[in-house]
Formats: sequence, C-alpha cells, structure tokens
Amino acid sequence: MRTRSLIVPLVLTSLVVPLSAQTSRAALVRQSDIIFAGTVTRPGVVRVDQVFEKPAAVSLAKGDSVTVLPARAGSLNPGMRATFYTTGWIYGRGITVREVGHETIGPQLAAVAGSSTAQQDLVARARQQVNDADLKARIQAAVMVVVGRVEQIRPPAYTSAPARPKRFTEHDPDWQEAIIHVDELLKGATGGERVVVRFPGSRDVAFVGKPRFAAGQEGTFLLQKDTATGSPLSVMAGQSVQAYTALHRLDVLAKQDAQHVRTLMRGP
Amino acid sequence: MRVTTLIAAVAFVVAACRRPPPPGGEPSPPPSPPPPPPEGVRVVDMIPASLSGETWQDAEPFLTVFATNPNLLAASAFTPNPGGPASTTAPIYVSADSGNTWSLRNTLPSNAQTADITHAAGESPALYATILSAPSIALKDLETNDVLSATTMTQDAMRPNVDQPFVRAIRAANTDRLYVGINDFDAPNGRTATVDVSLNGGTTFTSRRIESRNTLGQNGPSIRPAVAQNGTVYVAYFGWRSNAGDTITGDIVVARDDNGATGTTPFRDLRDPSDNQPGRLVATSRTIVFSNGPTLGQERIGSTLSLAVDATHSDTVYIAWADRVGSGDVQTVHVRRSLDRGATWSNDLRTLPNTTNPSLAVADDGTVGLLYQQLTGTGNASRWVNRFEQSRDGFATHKDLVLATVPANAPASQFLPYLGDYNMLLTRGTAFLGIFSAANTPDPANFPSGVVFQRRVNQATHQLLDGSGSPVDVSIDPFFFSVPVMP
Repeated sequence: MRTRSLIVPLVLTSLVVPLSAQTSRAALVRQSDIIFAGTVTRPGVVRVDQVFEKPAAVSLAKGDSVTVLPARAGSLNPGMRATFYTTGWIYGRGITVREVGHETIGPQLAAVAGSSTAQQDLVARARQQVNDADLKARIQAAVMVVVGRVEQIRPPAYTSAPARPKRFTEHDPDWQEAIIHVDELLKGATGGERVVVRFPGSRDVAFVGKPRFAAGQEGTFLLQKDTATGSPLSVMAGQSVQAYTALHRLDVLAKQDAQHVRTLMRGP
Repeated sequence: MRVTTLIAAVAFVVAACRRPPPPGGEPSPPPSPPPPPPEGVRVVDMIPASLSGETWQDAEPFLTVFATNPNLLAASAFTPNPGGPASTTAPIYVSADSGNTWSLRNTLPSNAQTADITHAAGESPALYATILSAPSIALKDLETNDVLSATTMTQDAMRPNVDQPFVRAIRAANTDRLYVGINDFDAPNGRTATVDVSLNGGTTFTSRRIESRNTLGQNGPSIRPAVAQNGTVYVAYFGWRSNAGDTITGDIVVARDDNGATGTTPFRDLRDPSDNQPGRLVATSRTIVFSNGPTLGQERIGSTLSLAVDATHSDTVYIAWADRVGSGDVQTVHVRRSLDRGATWSNDLRTLPNTTNPSLAVADDGTVGLLYQQLTGTGNASRWVNRFEQSRDGFATHKDLVLATVPANAPASQFLPYLGDYNMLLTRGTAFLGIFSAANTPDPANFPSGVVFQRRVNQATHQLLDGSGSPVDVSIDPFFFSVPVMP
C-alpha cells in the first residue's frame, strides 16, 4: 500500500456506509468488472468522478455519464455520491451497467482530502483478496503443484483409445503433451522427476485463454489428473504414468509466483 | 441518422483525397478524386464508441433481420464480453435504427464468448440462437421474446458432441418452426449430417438424419438449411466419402422437404437419379482439404457452404461451396443454381479461386446476391477483398461492389478462424443486408464503398483511438452493410 493512503483508509472505514467489512467489499468486487466513484445526477444516471476498475477496451473517464440499472429500485437518489460496483450490460455510444452494489460516500467522507485515492486503494485491496481467494481455490483443487521447466512438447502417448474417436471438426482440441521436469514439488506426489501435462494445441476459438506450453517454458503449474481426453494414462520412459492437465487460466503461473503460492498454501 | 451517415461517408472520401504524395522521386500528378460511394450503400464498423479500445479478433459474424420491424437487427461475432474471461455471459450486437448504430449486450449464457453462434428471428422482437457455449462447447438452443431485453436468453435445449449449429426459422400456423443444421457426432453409422427440427418454437426438438449414404465416418461440419415461405425446406451438406489424411473426397448434396419437415420421415422429397437415395448430388468426388491451421492467408479452410432459396418462388435455389480444383488454388468457390426444386443443377455460375465465406440470398424480385471474401496477391501485397455481387440472370451478368479491400497479413491472427468459417447475407424489401469481418484500419482506400466508424478514429492519420485518444492497434471488426437491390 502506498504511504499516502495509510491513514485515509482508516478514516474511510469508519465513515463509509453501509458497508465496512472487507469481506463484503470483496464480494462486491468479485461480481464487478466496472467500479467507479460517481454522483447520481438523475434517476438511473451517474456522473463518473473517478474510475477504479474497468476493462481496457472500455471507454470510461471522469465526467462521463453512465446509465445504471440499480440493484434495488429507488436506491439511487439524485445528489448521492457513492462507489458503484457494477457489471457491464450494454455498450453503445455510452455504457449501461447493472449495479451489483454501492458504498455511499457521505459529505464527511467526501470532504476528506485524498479520500478518492484511498477508496481506490480499498477497491484494489479487495480485488487482491478476490484474486488470492480464486488462486487458493485452484491450489486446493489441484492434485499436484510443481515448479518446473517444460523439456519437450510431443503428441499424446495414449495407453488406451480416447473415449471419443478423433473427428474432423474445427473444435478438435488437438491434445499435446508437455513433459515437465519438476524442480520443486509444492503439493502432491510425483512418480518421478517428470510429469506429463496434456493441453489443447488447437488455435480454435473454443480454446482461447486455455494455457498452452512451449519447450523451455518455466513456471509454477497447478495440475489435475486428466479427465478431459478420455485416456488418463500416458507413457514415459517405457512406463505407464498418470497424465495431468492444467486447463484453467490460473493453472499456469510464472516461476516467481511459487513464493506467493507457498504463502497461500500456508495461510488459513 | 441516415443523413449523418452520408455526411460521415463523404467526409471519409474527402480525407482520402488529402493523402500526401509518396516521398522522393518525381512529383506525382494530382490524384483523381475517387468515385463517390455508390448511392444507398452503407458500410458500418459495428464496434461501438464505448469499446473504442478493443483489439479483439471479432471473427465469424452473423446477422438477423426482423421482417416486421425494419429498424431492428441482431448480429454476433466472436466478440467476448468486455468484462473479461470470468464473465458468465457473452454478447450479441443489436441495432434499433436499421444498422446505423449498434450496441453490444451481454445476454448469451456462455462464459465470456461463444465457440459458434447463429440466430434467426421469431415474431419481432423474438430471437432464437444456437450456440456452442464456453467452456464445454456444448450446443445450446436459446430464445428470447425480446432481443432488446436485459434478461439472459432462455435455454430451450442443450447437448454435447455436435458441431457448427446453423438455425433458420419461419412462422407457420401461429408458431415458429426452427431448423438447426448440426453435425451430430452421436448420430449412428457415421451419418452425422442432421437437422434438429422444432415445430413448436423451441419447446421440443427432433433430430432428423439427412445423410442417406455411407460416409468416411462423418459428414462435413456445415449443414445449411434454407426455408421458403411455402414451407419448403432445403438442406445442403457435404457427403464426405473417403479421406487420405486431411484431404477429403466428398459430394455436395441437397436434400428437400416439401412440408416443413412436419412428417415422420422428412427430407426425402428430393432423390438422386443415380441411386434413388434422398439427397441430390450437386457435385461428386470433390477434393476438400480440411486444414485447421492458417492455409488461405491466415484463415483455415475445410467446410465452406451456403444455400439460399427464393423465399416466394421455392423452385429456385442457389448453392455455393468451396473445394480444391487443383489449378494452383488453395480452394475455389463454386456457385450453382437449380430452377426445378433441386432436381437439376446448372454448371458453375461463378468460379472464384482462393475465396471463402460465400453467402447467398435471393431478393423478393428474384435478384440473387453473393457476398464473399477473396484472397488476392501474395506476401505483403496480399489482401482480403470483400465483394458483393448481384445478378438477375444467373450471373451471366452481375453488378460488382468492393465493400472492403484490406491487407491480409495484418493484424496477426489471435486464433482461428481469422475471419470466420462463415458470414451472412440476407435480404429484406429492396435491400441486401449483410455482415463480414475485416481488418479495421480506418483508411478510406480500404473501403471503396464508404464506411462509417462508431468507434473513435482519426481519419486523417488512419488511426484507431481509444477513449482517451491514444492509438489502438488494428484488429478484426465486424462490418454491417446494406446495398440496394439493383434496379
């Protein structure tokens, strides 16, 4: 946290109504993709005072007017100032959002110097909470977490025919295998120094965002037993071995993220 | 709004006239002014102003018009929910002013985006959609009674293991009949070409198998229904017979049902004289390369098919497909016509090398429209030329319009398809309405028929700009267009 916002959040915490608990704010943040401070100018319309979070592609800046579908009818009254937690609904010349919730900024808080910066930091902290919770859930769900290096990419070495025969379809995943040399085992048990991780090699739109592997790639990998291909075993050094997958965008992290993963594993 | 559009188009042409001469060498003679955009033609970049910063590959566009409300249109592309990958809905585009402006609405039940989507109009403003949803790639049949509604579309049916759903709809007996062409990998005996038929507005569906012959184990992905007002339903599909690796040998087949597929054994009203089996063989033993990598420029190939029936004269039906002729082409599009309900077919009316995404439509007066994307030139000089042709004499003569001509090697592909495995052409009243995806550099030279951008651009510098005025990288955008039916 930046120094300038060390004190003001404490003030904010006492003045913001009705929400104060960080968990409540995190719940709002989790459901939101556009978060901004603003002033209700007329029913259903908010003038943006400061943008805290928005997708990169979205045009939204201070002074813009946003149409807000309130979470509760009649809850947004002209003149009200608040931090609005919202999700994008209609993108046209302007933006229409659905309100997830809001934190009212009362006159006392509005008068606090630096309050908007502090509010932004509170939102950022809540986002970090959400991100950590999501990552922790992935870690807990993983059967194995390793730090390692991709030694080789190869076609899958199935030990039995996949559940579904190969089809001519644009959405064929084109399964590939990454042979990962394990430098450090953070969770689970490997059968040796290497693990086999299957991933879709297809460039089809259906696999956009799925992690892909490349020889030489280093990382921290959250692995599941392969239930996707219909043939869960592979072959390595002549031995039948369990194959794994890492199909979620959080399953492949940078090597230096291992420390953060360790911290989350130790936490409550 | 139309006046605004015309002014913007003229402004764009004026900007083109101000391009500086090339540096060095002899001074160039003053360029002759480009011809004005054809009267009545509109080309609109559909990305709304509030998403001016977007750089996604908005490929595989599709369009729906509403017969009883000329102002209302719906469209789609592989545009993701701007909210990001954690979003649980995907967007469609909606226009309430005849396509002049578009908004993006997150109403499809699919994580962030779809893996395939087509749609068709019910009684306005109802919309039916078929999607391959993310992340499962399962088929979802969807509907809404108001395409402008904020509510997530209702799921009528869902099942896995199908490919490329393609829905058409028609109003009959006070209900909507739906015909969803799908490649159903759960179909028996490798005869996967299927039409899911709903005679009650999506309440129930019945899978109708339309392949009557042996296959190599499956049909090609594209199954294309087309419905006439009298209830005649045609379906085109690829009868894949054998393969050597990714090189397929197959037939192009058209089946027909004369009663809206309401009988117990539908799609058997058109038989081939060679074997008396349902499904007329329009062309046989064609070579089709199924390539799931960049093959035609940065685009993949393998299942290119379009079918259109004259809605008010159901005897007339047009087909377009792509195969490899072997004359050095990557693939070639063929256009043919039947004037006797599919019993006999013409030879090629149009033969278009290195072309993809043909889309056909027949106007009320019988004029046929053809939209396609052709790769021209090589290397850095290669271009995707997006053309629209129309003809009233079976393409003995035709009127040709270049809607866009854009570099083919930029932007770099983010995924496949690069432009789409299909696009869409429709007709309503005295206009053809269509949609295609293309590189979005705001250079008027790329849009000889004019163009209007909703997103922020600097026309003088040919730059895309985000909301703050910073430059934005070139990407693939969906473009709506409207062209008057030729007089």
